[in-house]
Amino acid sequence: MQHGNLVHELLSGVAPEAVPEWATILVTAVIGVSVLVGLVSVLAMFSVWLERKVSGHIQCRYGPMYVGGWHGWAQSLADGVKLLMKEDMIPLGADRVLFVLAPALVLGSIFGAMAAMPLAPGFYFADINLGVFFILGMSALTTIGVIMSGWASNSKWSLYGAMREAAQVVAYEIPLGISLLAPLMVAGTFNLLEASEAQSGWFGMKWFVFQNPFLIPAAVLFFVAALAETKRAPFDLPEAESELVAGFMTEYSGIRWSFFFMEEYAAMFLMSIVGAVFFFGGFESPFTSLAEWAFVAESGADGVVTEAAGIFELPLLYHVTAGTVLAAKALFGVFLMMWVRWTLPRVRIDQVMTMGYKYLTPLALVVVLATGFWELILS
Amino acid sequence: MMIESQGKTTEPQAAGVVLSEKARTLPSGEREFMMDVRTADLEVNMGPQHPATHGVMRILIRTDGELITGAQPHLGYLHRCAEKIGENVEWLQYLPYTDRYDYLAAMNNNLGYSMAVEAMLGEEIPRRAQMLRTICAELNRIGSHLIAFGTYGLDLGAITPFLYAFREREWMMALFEKICGARLTYSYLRIGGVFNDTPPGWLGEVEHFCDVFEEKHKEYVDLLMMNHIFVKRTADIGVIPAEMALDFGLTGPMIRGSGIDFDLRRDTPYMLYGELADAGAFDVILGSGAKGALGDCWDRFYVRVMEMIESVKIIRWCLGSIEPGPVIAPLPKVLKVPAGEAYVGIENPRGELGHFVVSDGGKVARRVRVRGPSFCNLAVLEAIMPGTLLADAVAIVGSTDVVIGETDR
Amino acid sequence: MLASSAVREYLTNVWDGVRTTLVGMRITGRYLLQKPITVQYPDERLPIPDRYRGIHYLEQEKCINCLACARACPIDCIEMDAIRHGKELEWVSFTLDYQKCMFCELCVYPCPKDCIHMGTEFAYVSFDRSEFVHDLLSFKGMAPDAKVRMREAKEKKALKEAAKLAAKQAKDESEGNGDGD
Repeated sequence: MQHGNLVHELLSGVAPEAVPEWATILVTAVIGVSVLVGLVSVLAMFSVWLERKVSGHIQCRYGPMYVGGWHGWAQSLADGVKLLMKEDMIPLGADRVLFVLAPALVLGSIFGAMAAMPLAPGFYFADINLGVFFILGMSALTTIGVIMSGWASNSKWSLYGAMREAAQVVAYEIPLGISLLAPLMVAGTFNLLEASEAQSGWFGMKWFVFQNPFLIPAAVLFFVAALAETKRAPFDLPEAESELVAGFMTEYSGIRWSFFFMEEYAAMFLMSIVGAVFFFGGFESPFTSLAEWAFVAESGADGVVTEAAGIFELPLLYHVTAGTVLAAKALFGVFLMMWVRWTLPRVRIDQVMTMGYKYLTPLALVVVLATGFWELILS
Repeated sequence: MMIESQGKTTEPQAAGVVLSEKARTLPSGEREFMMDVRTADLEVNMGPQHPATHGVMRILIRTDGELITGAQPHLGYLHRCAEKIGENVEWLQYLPYTDRYDYLAAMNNNLGYSMAVEAMLGEEIPRRAQMLRTICAELNRIGSHLIAFGTYGLDLGAITPFLYAFREREWMMALFEKICGARLTYSYLRIGGVFNDTPPGWLGEVEHFCDVFEEKHKEYVDLLMMNHIFVKRTADIGVIPAEMALDFGLTGPMIRGSGIDFDLRRDTPYMLYGELADAGAFDVILGSGAKGALGDCWDRFYVRVMEMIESVKIIRWCLGSIEPGPVIAPLPKVLKVPAGEAYVGIENPRGELGHFVVSDGGKVARRVRVRGPSFCNLAVLEAIMPGTLLADAVAIVGSTDVVIGETDR
Repeated sequence: MLASSAVREYLTNVWDGVRTTLVGMRITGRYLLQKPITVQYPDERLPIPDRYRGIHYLEQEKCINCLACARACPIDCIEMDAIRHGKELEWVSFTLDYQKCMFCELCVYPCPKDCIHMGTEFAYVSFDRSEFVHDLLSFKGMAPDAKVRMREAKEKKALKEAAKLAAKQAKDESEGNGDGD
């Protein structure tokens, strides 16, 4: 079931004939950007709260409990206000232009990457053919920002962090991409919406991991590479708080620092979305199938909703269910990343390289090859 | 390599070592040629405010990229003239000061000092007092090793084991709080015994703690010590061969990690430890080189983690044979120690804690000298740190388990 | 042979890495589902044992201003001042400087009257350093009963003296009478 952009259709539906097409596109874009910015900030705040709760409960404590009443839900909000209020400090020896530019670039590139992320079958910002490559490429851009910040800070610790980030991301882009190749071969598309579509059936349980046995190791490899890509423990070497003080963010404070923080959580969510779409069924789940079935039963259609269906006839329940399912899958991925973080010690930089080049890359290649043969034999 | 090009200096000699168009010989014997790139080692101050130096220690590190080419610890940021204070306050009044040098093992410090004074007094210590002293010293050893365990995990990026270790340490501190009223600086021991008998039910609580601790100890081993990443981070890192350990005068887990069977509790039996060793109540844990070379960081860590179980065994033995009786020898309130001198070395969690006290027969010591184990163990850093990576520096400093309060005193 | 051992090591590394990670995650996951052991501090508090060494308190009525505690203090943070009226004390101050105090409890034991104790209060917060010089006295000057005692003693003394005087006068008178004879 392929649908047009919900917002755009909605606007086209209500706008008078006189309004030109480009205007609706512009308004759609503006709405999309604001939704994205709001989404990323809320997501980051929620993830920070979740991280603190998860780490707290893993460590036999509660985490935030006071602000906002129920389990300190407003703690991140309060922290955000505090970060906004803080003095904007730029070290004297820093390269001011790069220092200011770096957090913006980091956050901007992750926003860019999120543009290709679908939230619901009909709610996306950009339906790109090469969606996965776009996401991987844009999220790799954050590295440039991190290196910029490390250099511009003019601090030795920051520089170490930046160098580590550069080495690490270069090493892990490869297994990340290769491990994604396996589900891409099964899906036969780079488009996230189409990949999700390809997994419908079996009451929403026709996920790629169930279709091909070699996709299970591929998912594990993807998870490990995504951890490294998003600078999460045990691969948080660029910030490595016990070695490099705070790595590339040592000299940052206030809202600039929080940009790096937001980027980290947004990247986690993004990688989880990609993982969910290409391994774990995307929008598909028994609930989604149920919602779809209910809609079909109600509308009396033969299971195919044509694109001609107007905006007000779109199955909103289906969209909401599908979006919730995807978000739940992605948040589970984020939770898994947190769980790993609060369990494992940090690896050393040469071990990161060893793991990337000698373990993950060859294993990913083997998995891709095996997946290819499996697909060939089955077809 | 990178810092140089940021500077605006045009004269090459202005900025450190310049090896342009020269060759240098690498440790492997290979000749490395530097053509145009001006390179210099980067000097980094690790500390005094750094998360991994366990206090206010500064290590001046010279690095070539991530590789450390030289390291020099600088001390003295926490110097409080503890020994000089000992020459100015009465014998008993110095006891609270001993809490403060190795603040993670205050009971052991109290023990060392009071034993040194008792050696001059020649006073017989009641048996129950000795039992309580042993129980407290070993409980504190567990607490101290728990910190060593937790902070070592923290140094290597594992935060959760630290919190687990603190959970048990909190319990241990609550036990001490019940018996002496303080949580960190106990001053529970007195010259001649301990100042207070146990509150009712305290020994039972200690036994319960031992039971639970043995269970939790298995988790520590599984969660951190046997973790693959942890093993890879610590095995073959910071290897101290037995020879070097002897040369540097290392003591405690540092020397036992290098495979040398040296434990003052057994070798120079003091208090009840001779009896305990004869009864076979505890074993001396030695590094075995199970995961890498003998004497690496993992071995030292292993010794500390396993010693906690030995301490539990000692506590159990004491709990089994403790009898009612007086807890302090009858001594005058204002103590006058006969002229003379005494040196008593005890096995602190970090190694040999020696107290050398001189009396001229008065109310105040003539001289108090402390041989701190962390201070002596720290010297080895300079020898084992070059040639490792920056992340290993943190692992090595953590494996020495220094308490800066004691190195500086 | 060499190749096979290298392959075995490679696979062992992969296996160990995955296995120990899962072992660790099982432990942390188990704690994730358990109830935390910490308490919400200002709302709930852990019981403080009787022997806790917190802020001192003084049983002023018992204190005889003997300075034993001040002498026992390793850092001389106890200062006391009282004016002696015969047996009774007029208290001026009994201060403990909590900037210096290290809560070693050495001041408690030498007390001959067992009147200085360490309480269970531990939070002592102030914006001003001078406020850490804490006066332990519950009242300044003389105790009410001491005043009564003193008045009684004075009255007694006055009575005694009056009696003495009267006796003396009587004696003088009788002597004077004798002289007069």
